[in-house]
Amino acid sequence: MKRTTRTAVVALSATAALLLSSCGFSGGESDASTDAAGGENTTLEMLVPTYSTGTKALWEGVIEDFEAEHSNISINLEVQSWENLEGVLKTKLQGNQAPDIYNGGAFAEFAAEGLLAPVSDVASPETIEDFQPAFADAEKFEGTQYGLPLIASARALFYNETLMDEAGVQDVPKTWDELYEASKLISEKTKADGYGMPLGSEEAQGESLIWFAGNGGNFGDADSISVDTPENLEAAEFMKKMIDDGVTQNDPGATQRTPMLNTFIQGQLGFAYALPQTVGQIEKENPDLKYGVTTVATKTGEPATLGVADRLMSFKNDGSKSAAVKEFMDYFYSADVYTDWVSTEGFLPTTQSGSEKLAGDEVLKPFLDMLPNAVFYPTTNPAWNATDGAFKSLMGELGTGKSAEDVLKGIQAKADAAS
Amino acid sequence: MAFLVTADRASRKTVIMRMLIGVLVVLIFLLPYLTMLIGSIKTQAEILSIPPDYLPREGAQWSNYASMWATPETPVPYNLISTIVISVFATLLVLLVATPAAYYTARFKFPGKMVFMFLVIVTQMLQPAVLTAGLFKQMLAWDLHDTWLAMILINAAFNLAFAVWIMHSFFAGVPRSIDEAAQIDGAGKLRVLFTINLPLVWPGIVTAVIFTFVSCWNEFAASLVILSTAENQPLSVALTKFVGQYSTAWQYVFGVSIVAIVPVIILFALIEKRLIGGLAAGAVK
Amino acid sequence: MSTSLQVTPAPAKRRKRGNDSQSLLSSVPWIGPALLLILAMVVYPAGYMIYNSTRKISSVGTDLHSVGLDNFVTVFQDPALPRIMINTVVWVLSVVVITVLLSLALAQFLNKPFPGRTFVRMAVIVPWAASVVMTTTVFYYGLDPNYGIFNKFFIDIGLMDEGFGWTKNAVPAMLVSIVVAIFVSIPFTTYTLLAGMQAIPEETLEAARVDGAGKWKTYIFVILPQLRSALAVAALINIINVFNNLPILKVMTGSIPGNSADTLMTYIFKVLQFDRRLDISSALSVVNFAIVVVIVAIYVKSVKPMQEV
Repeated sequence: MKRTTRTAVVALSATAALLLSSCGFSGGESDASTDAAGGENTTLEMLVPTYSTGTKALWEGVIEDFEAEHSNISINLEVQSWENLEGVLKTKLQGNQAPDIYNGGAFAEFAAEGLLAPVSDVASPETIEDFQPAFADAEKFEGTQYGLPLIASARALFYNETLMDEAGVQDVPKTWDELYEASKLISEKTKADGYGMPLGSEEAQGESLIWFAGNGGNFGDADSISVDTPENLEAAEFMKKMIDDGVTQNDPGATQRTPMLNTFIQGQLGFAYALPQTVGQIEKENPDLKYGVTTVATKTGEPATLGVADRLMSFKNDGSKSAAVKEFMDYFYSADVYTDWVSTEGFLPTTQSGSEKLAGDEVLKPFLDMLPNAVFYPTTNPAWNATDGAFKSLMGELGTGKSAEDVLKGIQAKADAAS
Repeated sequence: MAFLVTADRASRKTVIMRMLIGVLVVLIFLLPYLTMLIGSIKTQAEILSIPPDYLPREGAQWSNYASMWATPETPVPYNLISTIVISVFATLLVLLVATPAAYYTARFKFPGKMVFMFLVIVTQMLQPAVLTAGLFKQMLAWDLHDTWLAMILINAAFNLAFAVWIMHSFFAGVPRSIDEAAQIDGAGKLRVLFTINLPLVWPGIVTAVIFTFVSCWNEFAASLVILSTAENQPLSVALTKFVGQYSTAWQYVFGVSIVAIVPVIILFALIEKRLIGGLAAGAVK
Repeated sequence: MSTSLQVTPAPAKRRKRGNDSQSLLSSVPWIGPALLLILAMVVYPAGYMIYNSTRKISSVGTDLHSVGLDNFVTVFQDPALPRIMINTVVWVLSVVVITVLLSLALAQFLNKPFPGRTFVRMAVIVPWAASVVMTTTVFYYGLDPNYGIFNKFFIDIGLMDEGFGWTKNAVPAMLVSIVVAIFVSIPFTTYTLLAGMQAIPEETLEAARVDGAGKWKTYIFVILPQLRSALAVAALINIINVFNNLPILKVMTGSIPGNSADTLMTYIFKVLQFDRRLDISSALSVVNFAIVVVIVAIYVKSVKPMQEV
């Protein structure tokens, strides 16, 4: 019995000592990462999201090969799901632990606060010149390029041929009205739903911009976010008509894209806007599906689509690691490494050399063809990120009874509050 | 039926009734996890088929349970080890600091006792989820960022409340006369606590252990920001890695979730007998 | 210091009180470690949260300047707040009350001897052991109108004609969330009560039997009072946890636009995730915290879960 007591006392005081000593540290924040200052070895922190189940392995392969060539640089890779990515990044920023290499969507707000290194500091002129000009321009904030475009993707209309036959729809819809009529026929004459409209928090911003772009609208530019414009309102009212007349799936306001696309893949949906990856998914999950891919339906039939680009960027921190970051960027964007990465993930390339290498790709071709008419998110506007959030949380109210005008006004108000 | 008071010598009919209710209870509580288990042995395509199938169409894919240990998304074996280490040590730490505090507050009066007890319960009200920014900065300052120790301390601190409060109420239920008798025999307070009181409050300790262990086991918000190396992360964080932008490896999400339940059940099986406390066993007059 | 005048609600035998008053100093070795752990780990992050609530913070997290209490003004002027508060009250009350009632019954049942009881006890612990996020996710997918297995089951047994979007509209989604929250709260509550029942001396029950008390009478007048402190602590922890629960509602109601299905906790999350306002969400967190503190203080004062010495 004595022993029990003594053990307990020892353990207790050990705990106390441990806690006391850790308490003593509490004041300063200075001694975080003391390495990398003088030595030859540099460790880069890299934070990336998961595009697919293979993303982590893909990056690990790139890093391994890179480290083999550059023995003085090592890279710590951290992979997070899209859902958690920004929360983790923000916590790191607040703790002054910004990643040296970051893969994300929005960049302008970071650039606006002077947190990012200009690309000229972290990539060689050859690498920078290789980007397609349209993409490079979308990476500029006040004239300086901060992001290195990583991937691009465009949306196209996927249609189910079996359902169209069953409902007696002859032609692939090219305009809003044709899409409306075709969806209506499918909704009425088959057991499936006509058009899939995912206005839940996952993709409300993308679905909205596809429709807005189809009426010559957009979300604004680098200087101002403009959501409640006449073009956008007309598009939103048409979306609402689709919902109210029941030619979409049930509860579009709370529908997420991933499960909705799954209903298309499973042959339960007539039309949906989807992306290059969807082709691969269909092949894997329901290869028997009879479907086609075509351009986005617009008000007049003029071509337009939503283009999305994500980017790599480098937080400058104290600037001591930019040489190492440059080594990595130049390595990664070399034609072979980059093309392999981007085609494995199933995206469209953003570099000229990459486009040339992938020009013959069957799956990517229809999407590549659409890129010239693509409307992009106003990523160069620092208020874009908050606007994006407003779309995600409010656009679905189109499906829960609010008028199109009120919904757009609500989103505009949130965007204004952020700029 | 569930309100029968006498525990012994129930009629045969009553016992059968109890067993039937037992089956019903088991069904209700296990149903979601059966769904999970079945999901974990389907192929990716089957999980998302419309309309769904109750059972795997293409045969049970038990191989998912083999392949999930070596997925490209996350190092599951390491994640399991992390979860175990963090939970076990955080639970031990909680027991170590909560037991004396609970005993002392239940037995003695001292100035500031109410303040102490309230301060303890305040930790329960502050979820790590809303404190991650501060926790992250603090762990950086202490140079504990991305370490198990950080999560052990955080988990222990934020789960202290239940252990202190529940053990407090159990200690308070032990008749003081027992203590006094022991003290007359010359035993110190610590000895009275460990040799006399502890055996009598086993049910409280067991509940506290399971509560603490389970909360640590499933903690997510703080681990997400504090542990950045994939190998250090617990299973709760690892699960999110299976969620891609366009598709999710549901069979692994479900499989890993099932595996994650097992250690808690084992722990429970090991200490379940202690739920029969000393008092109920008639050790005390 | 005599406490003999103190009135305690416990009907149990009053005991002789003697040398049980101690100085603060002599209590240090006993409560010191717990205190230290709390102070070391909780004070700084909590303080940081309060500090953030008085700042203007940019969307990327840069601390710009102080705004005094402006963030709180913004919070209280938020037109969405009344609905959110009502949702929060409904959420907490319904989950806690139903959980406690069902757990009382279940604990009583699990205290009875019958073959296979250990197995049943283990089954009951599973929802506790499983991560709440995963349990909720299973319900969420089971209730999906297209590929949900629960929806299919409802259709197959003829309850419904086609899949219903349980999680797509505010009211049904809230109801389903409440069911899931009760489901995952029952195990913990039941085990706390079960442990409490073990501490009831057999003699007490025997005495009641000898007195010829009926089953219900025994339960209400003998067992329940003895369970009081375990019940009080279990309810307390449930109130706090349900109030602060994010995962269930985030999964179940996360795709619903607007704030019609939000509680304070999910609203805090949305302000952070979608509006990217750390300052406002910190202010909301402080309000949330203040509310819980007040509720718990009232609870502790009136229910007295802490037994007096």
